[in-house]
Amino acid sequence: MEMSPRGIVLVSAIPILLGIALAAGLTWPGTVDSAPAAKEAANGPVKKWTKVSVELPASQTAFPPGDGAVIANAQCLICHSAGMVLRQPPLTQDEWVGEINKMRNAYGAALPADQVDALAKYLHSINDGQSPRGSSTVDGQGG
Amino acid sequence: MQRSLFPPLPLSRRRFLSGVSGLGLTGLLGASAWDAVAADLVEFPFVNGRRELATNFPQKGAMILQRTRPPLLETPFEVFDQGVFTPNDRFYVRWHLANIPTEVDPATFRLNIRGHVDQPIQLTLDDLVRGFKPFEIAAVNQCSGNSRGFFSPRVPGGEWANGAMGNARWTGVRLKDVLDRAGVKAGALQARFNGLDTGVVPQTPDFMKSLAIDHARDGEVMIAYAMNGEPLPLLNGFPLRLVVPGWYATYWVKMLDDIEVLDKPDDNFWMTKAYLIPDTPFANIVPGQKDVKMVPINRMLPRSFFTNVKDGAVLKVGQTTTVRGIAFGGDTALAKVLFSADSGSRWQEARLGSDHGKYSFRRWEVPLRLSSPGSHQLMIKAVNAAGSVQPDRANWNGAGFMRNVIESVSVQAA
Repeated sequence: MEMSPRGIVLVSAIPILLGIALAAGLTWPGTVDSAPAAKEAANGPVKKWTKVSVELPASQTAFPPGDGAVIANAQCLICHSAGMVLRQPPLTQDEWVGEINKMRNAYGAALPADQVDALAKYLHSINDGQSPRGSSTVDGQGG
Repeated sequence: MQRSLFPPLPLSRRRFLSGVSGLGLTGLLGASAWDAVAADLVEFPFVNGRRELATNFPQKGAMILQRTRPPLLETPFEVFDQGVFTPNDRFYVRWHLANIPTEVDPATFRLNIRGHVDQPIQLTLDDLVRGFKPFEIAAVNQCSGNSRGFFSPRVPGGEWANGAMGNARWTGVRLKDVLDRAGVKAGALQARFNGLDTGVVPQTPDFMKSLAIDHARDGEVMIAYAMNGEPLPLLNGFPLRLVVPGWYATYWVKMLDDIEVLDKPDDNFWMTKAYLIPDTPFANIVPGQKDVKMVPINRMLPRSFFTNVKDGAVLKVGQTTTVRGIAFGGDTALAKVLFSADSGSRWQEARLGSDHGKYSFRRWEVPLRLSSPGSHQLMIKAVNAAGSVQPDRANWNGAGFMRNVIESVSVQAA
């Protein structure tokens, strides 16, 4: 299972093609409801272990321009890409302060205290303008 | 390939685009549960719900991109219409910490069992495969925050729709057998599990989860070295993953390489500060409610889903259609699945497909004939063997955990 990025594309194409054949040719409760093909040997499905080596894609996303984008790009991207930040529901500026302080206090982000408000204002500004939402809901948990 | 915030599409445009989704791969595979706005985009029905389909993650097919690093990848819902076992290359992915080894060499990999034991041991992968009796179980792995995007009012976090779950046949060894090999000492309280992933900065708490020692030794909790008959994809935890049947996925530690038996309660961040739920039925509170006792998230609740009809589907008046989906019982077996074609006034039992064990997805189906034109609300609810029933009203808590409200879709008869 040693994989180059090129090899991965080929490998992943096979199940997709099989999926089409199954969907086209069979109706439930036929084969699609059955267990995956049993590959039981005396020692179970794994007979020989092979080194796995993969490459994880890098995010190309930077935070959009605006006052505070420099802080966001310098600080947030150390531990995670921007995508999940940009996919949040509309949050108030205070809720963003809570999220940023969670990153500082729980996860050890090095963001200085005097940059919290500027970053919260920026994140609120790029996240605002979506549909209305309910009351404040942040409870500061991870997950 | 990520993009910045998109404004939500106007509804009319969304409907139009969903009508042509058959041009994409999802259309070829059957009904898609969410609007596919283009071949490589999905529009979830909540604010800021547009997502890209990513095909550039190793050992993975097309997945809904929630975050690139560390990866959060959601299973496109149409995959669940193809069978009760979720293919490894479409199984959802959720990592907390970005230092994920991209290479794992079975020749040097070791699983450590240490702590409050008679004899600390180190096991190779071959030791596990050859030195223990194999154990196999079909079980649903569901993220604590699956469906968080549907919370109202919304809460921050991974904004998943319903695809942060999957069902697989897990093969490996009983955790009990491995613990017994090391010899658990009297006075042991918990077993704590750690994987190879670490935080980017040293201040980030390492991701570790614990189970009560009796739970760890119940003969069902297991260490899986295979998933659906194959080694696990790296992003699903190669080479070893803890499997905790009936419990939320936060306990199913990936790339498991360290088990520490504790003689005092685990006080690590991921057990005491994160993944806490209100200690109330369905983990439900009123937004803003204070002074609620919080406890670590634990057992799953029953859920059921439609997989071949979605909101806005048009059915022919007087013609019989088979409506189908999947269901699971949560922490115990599914007892029955109930279907309503009239917004929940009357319920009928759905026919159930093959039983792959009490922790597995199970198919359900009903023949549906709508005799009057117009809009009809279809609903589905699961009841488990302990009598737990999916609730009429959605739960709410600040972390967006444990959603299991009755699912419904509006269809048009014409």
